[in-house]
Parts: sequence; C-alpha cells; structure tokens
Amino acid sequence: MRAAPFFESAKAWWLGLGVTLVAPFAAFNDYLLHMMVLWGIYSILALSLNIIVGFLGELTFGHAAFFGIGAYASALLVMGLGLPIWLGPLAAGLIAGAFGLVIGYVALRIVGPQFAILTLGFGAIIQTITNYWVDVTRGPMGISQIPPFSIDALGLDFSQASHMYFLVLACLTLAVYLSRTLQNSRTGRAYVAIRENPELAQSIGINTFKNKWLAFTVATAMAGVGGSLYGHYLRVITPDLMSLSYMSALIIMVIVGGKGTTLGPVIGAMVYIALLESLRAFGNLRLVIFAAMLIVCVIFLPGGLISVWLRWHNRVREV
Amino acid sequence: MCVKFDMSHPAPLLQAQQLSRHFGGLVAVNAVDFEIQSGEIVGLIGPNGAGKTTLFNMLCASMAPTHGKVIFNGEDCTTLSAHDMAQRGMARTFQITSLFPHLSVFDNVLTGTYRQQQTGWWACIRHQARYKQEEAEMAAQACGILEFVGLAGRRDDLAMTLPYGDQRKLEIAIALATHPKLLLLDEPAAGMNPDEGAKLVGMIKDIRQRGVTVVLVEHHMKVVMGVCDRVIVIASGEKIAEGVPQHVANHPEVIRVYLGREKVHA
Repeated sequence: MRAAPFFESAKAWWLGLGVTLVAPFAAFNDYLLHMMVLWGIYSILALSLNIIVGFLGELTFGHAAFFGIGAYASALLVMGLGLPIWLGPLAAGLIAGAFGLVIGYVALRIVGPQFAILTLGFGAIIQTITNYWVDVTRGPMGISQIPPFSIDALGLDFSQASHMYFLVLACLTLAVYLSRTLQNSRTGRAYVAIRENPELAQSIGINTFKNKWLAFTVATAMAGVGGSLYGHYLRVITPDLMSLSYMSALIIMVIVGGKGTTLGPVIGAMVYIALLESLRAFGNLRLVIFAAMLIVCVIFLPGGLISVWLRWHNRVREV
Repeated sequence: MCVKFDMSHPAPLLQAQQLSRHFGGLVAVNAVDFEIQSGEIVGLIGPNGAGKTTLFNMLCASMAPTHGKVIFNGEDCTTLSAHDMAQRGMARTFQITSLFPHLSVFDNVLTGTYRQQQTGWWACIRHQARYKQEEAEMAAQACGILEFVGLAGRRDDLAMTLPYGDQRKLEIAIALATHPKLLLLDEPAAGMNPDEGAKLVGMIKDIRQRGVTVVLVEHHMKVVMGVCDRVIVIASGEKIAEGVPQHVANHPEVIRVYLGREKVHA
C-alpha cells in the first residue's frame, strides 16, 4: 500500500499545531500578529467553503453572505439584545446554519452552473437586504464599535490581537478536526462520491440530496462562526462583507491552496493574506494579480499548491 | 406463447408485475411480468430498442414505471428512489462504464461499502471505538473484493488510469462492496473480446457462489448462453419468451425477432 504523504499524517498535524502555537511569540510586531489572526479566520472560512466546493464539488457564490450573516447576527445580538459575548459565535453559527438549511433546501435541487447562479442570487438578495434595512443593520454605514470578544465569567479578554489569535487558533483547530474527520468517514466519502459521479453514488445507496443538504448546512454554520470572530475582532462590519470581492477571495484561497483537501484551504488562506499585504504597494492592481493567479492555477495546477507536494511525494516514492 | 420455466419456488427475490413505461405515445415496455428467484442467474435479452434498458432502469428505480409494480424481497418498491433500492440490497452497474474517476481503485471500492456502515462523521468526530472497528472491517472487505475481481495489484492507481477491461471489473467490485442480494448488470460484456468475455462468465458464476442473485442485460450470446440459468426475451417492449437458454434459443418466435432466421447452437 502506498504510504500517505507526510502532511496527511497525524504527526504533521500535531507539528502544525505546535508551530502555530509558538509562532505569535516569535512575531514581535503587532502587524504580523494581526495578519496571523486574519489568516486563522480566513482559514476557517476557506475550510467551510471547501466542504461545498472541494468535497461536494458544487460551486457556490453565496458563501460570503453566510459569513456576513454570522458577523451581523453576532454583533446585533450582543449589542442590541445583550447576549453574552461568548455566546456570539455560537449564535452566529446557528443563525447562519438556519439560513443555510432553508436556502440549501431550495437551491440544492439544482446542480452545476445553475446552482452557482442561484447561490449568487441568494447572496445578492441577502446583501441587498442588509444594505437597505437601515433600521436594523444601519445600512451601508455598517456597524462599528462592536465589543471585542471576552469571557467575563473567566475574566478572559480578547481585545488584543495576541489574545484573539489563540481564540481563532482554537476555532481553526476545531475546523481542521471537523474537516479531517469528514474526510475519514463514510459521510465524507459520500460527498466525494456525489462530486465524482452522482448517479453511481445513488446506485450504492447514497441519498444525494440529504447528504448535500447536511454538507451545505454545516458549511454555512462554520462560515457564520467565522463571521462572528471577524466582527468582534475588527469591530467594524459593513454589507461589503457579503460582496463578491470577499466571495472571490474565498474561492481563490480554496482553489489556489487545493480544493478537496484539508491543508489546501489553510495554505491558500496564508498565501492570500501574505500576497495581499506584501503587494500592498500595487494598490488595486493586486486584484489583477490574484485573478491571474487563479487562472494559472486552474490551468496548470488544478489540484492547487498542495498538488505540487503530492506530485513530488509520488515521484520520490517511485524512484 | 411463453416458454415457462419451473416456478414452484415460494417467495421470489424480485417480481415485476405488469411493468409498463410510456414515453408520450411510445410504449417502451408493455405489461411485462416475471420473477427472479434467489440464487439464480437470469439473462434479459432482446434486439436493440426492445426496451431492455428501460425495464432495467425501472427495476432499480432510476425510472418510475407508468403502470405496474416492482416487488423486491417481498416489499413493494415501485415508488422508491434509486438510493432506497440500493439500501435494500439491489446493486447495479451501468451500460457506459461508471466509476469515481479521480479516486484510487481502493477508495472506489471502499466508497461502495457505504450502505453497510452505520457510523459516519459524528462517530468519527467522537472517536468512537465502533467507528474504528467498522472502518477496519470495511477496508478489509474492500481488499477482499479487489482480490476477488483481480485488481489487488492496482489498488493505489487512479480509477481513470485503468484500462477498459479493468474498469469494468472495478465497476462490479463497487457494486459487490454494497453487499447486495441482487446484482443487476447492464451489458457487462460490452466492448470485451471473447477471452475477456469467457473470464466474465467465470466471474459471474463466482459472484453467485458468494450468495448474490444476478440479472444481466446482454448482447453477447456466448456470455448469455454460458452463464444464465434462465433467459427472458423482450421484443418491442413485451416479453415473448422465457426459459432455459437452449429452449429459448430454439423458440421460433425468438429466432424470428431476435436471433435471425438461422438456428443457433449454444
């Protein structure tokens, strides 16, 4: 039996966790720490999108809307209704997941490009409502002065990036664990089977609609949690969160990193953040660079950056 | 008109009762009745356009019949969906090779064990002992099935890289991984040379030895004659004959519509 590549092993994941735990102590500057927090949040989002795009094999343009729903739900519940802030991410996940449950029930009956367009429509509707329902969402002005994350009962305060990082890392670890267990279970195999050949999947007893519905709901709930973390960290949110620019950023992370794997989206998020910042001098030209990167990846590296490693791994083994 | 086969067995595994399917004004299958007993190998033959594939699709619930019933294992399954039929122990292969192309041969077969497994994502998240045990069992089963179809040496290759004959074997392996009571094969010998066809006959007989009832739609007469206990002949959507292969092959009506005017020596 062919040995799995190193990054698939449990050892590699423990090593990764160790490195990411120690990393903030090596990053003496706040700016780098800020980047790392964003990387963690984007990784969670990319991992959630990967469940739909990578495992189920359906392209969705609505994912940023669920991210936005999570961010708004958490901010509004905490600021307006006095929900304890530590419950914010949980509530955000539930609410975004509930939206995903309803929208998925309607949209998942359709597959392929039509599904992508339908999710684009749902995303646009949600963004438009957020933009115009000024009484609740404050419209295009967005919500500012969102309180930073804290757990009062334990006296924990996450207003600093250095503290927030560990909270985000804990959530990311959970997201990675969910993704890994999904890959190793019959549920994940069913998703991949639906991606590879839906007709054959049905013929071996997989209820394609039910499986897709569960995947979509879990993915949207994860995006909601990510949105909540984002809102309480940056403390300002606007309807732009739900826009296509965030959506395309998430798609780039998943595709460039490597869809259908767990490490891929995490690496993709890292590459995205690193390039976004290091190319800041180029201004809006960055977007062109990202688009070019996406095109190059789709043509020459359909498996994403992670496939370079895989290819190298297989070659070394054969020699 | 029909050549009757001994049907004294009490409970058939599969029954088609007055199965019909209309496409607009076209009657593709018209009031077909038959029964399949446990442990049989039955061939479904007929000239092109006779309605074999339509009948086949109704049996495994990928197409709803216009009239009639499908009774599987004593249960009326007419209104079920394809995945429900698979869950109840009916596996099928496709006329055009149908695999999970980007997965390894092993993963293809492991995916096929889906219906046998109880534990899923949630059990894996909780790291249940039962999950680990089941995963190990399924992996062992998948290995066994790969041995059985003769693909053990290619377990790490991607399914899409296999030669055609091996792909057909892998398809059967996926279907077997569901641990079916009944296996429906849609033209398993299509595109095979006589040598491969002969091996297929051997494999189908071995599948029966594993306790699986087999129904096949087939054009290759050598395969049908070599392996089937009983043959059902369909022409223009109707059953015109049924019985042991030698009898059916000599049945004048069958010779007229299907085998041409010459007598066939099986």
